[in-house]
Amino acid sequence: MKLLRSDQRGFVFHLGKREKHLLLETLQLYPLIPASRHRITRNGDSPADDERPRLLEEALAEHRRENRRQLQAMLNEKHRFQETEAGFQLNLSAPQMEWLLQVLNDIRVGSWLALGEPEQGDEPEPSKTNAQCLLALEVCGLFESALLAALGVHESPRWR
Amino acid sequence: MAETVVLPDLEREEQTGSKSDLEPGWLVICWNDPVNLMTYVTHVFQVVFGWNRQKAEFHMLQVHRQGKSLLARTTMEKAEHYVHQLQKYTLHATMERES
Repeated sequence: MKLLRSDQRGFVFHLGKREKHLLLETLQLYPLIPASRHRITRNGDSPADDERPRLLEEALAEHRRENRRQLQAMLNEKHRFQETEAGFQLNLSAPQMEWLLQVLNDIRVGSWLALGEPEQGDEPEPSKTNAQCLLALEVCGLFESALLAALGVHESPRWR
Repeated sequence: MAETVVLPDLEREEQTGSKSDLEPGWLVICWNDPVNLMTYVTHVFQVVFGWNRQKAEFHMLQVHRQGKSLLARTTMEKAEHYVHQLQKYTLHATMERES
């Protein structure tokens, strides 16, 4: 996935045929994070009463339903991916970039949770039961990195 | 070579609203996990708080190296708003009462 150009209207990416297939298959996994994962406080010290965590959970659930609706619309939209000689062009507006980052990261974090929350570099060996999660973890990371690079966010050597 | 780090101000946000909404203060905290990309966390901090790259990187590195970072000290309503926004991006964020 490569950025071809960006302007005020948005971003245009090139994807190979297999990349497009991999992206669409991975997006079908959304959502993966269980609702119970989201907690507003760490120690159960509710800000006011028991109502607030429930309201947050409901708001996030609605947000995920809306993401799912947008995802289905995108997958069904014939002109979202324009076929070229070398593959496909994907057009995304700035809000769609943010939305796609959220969806990809939900799948990435959800896969990590399903793998037992391993530390970096301590992921389990691939097997028939965890192959999909391991693949989704890596694929989402790659697509996220491509989107973030297009937004100008690059990893710095100073971070390590 | 030693790394020069400019500490950002963790300013108190302008307070409006009734007194009961403002007291006590609430802290918004982001916790480390080994799955979110460092670039992703930096970007989310910029989007949610409107910070520049330097300040967003500072807090991302604090999360990464120290396990957590205090992102905002604010009213309960704003703290809830920030936690909600951060959780939309699936970051591990919580709020707690300032002691």
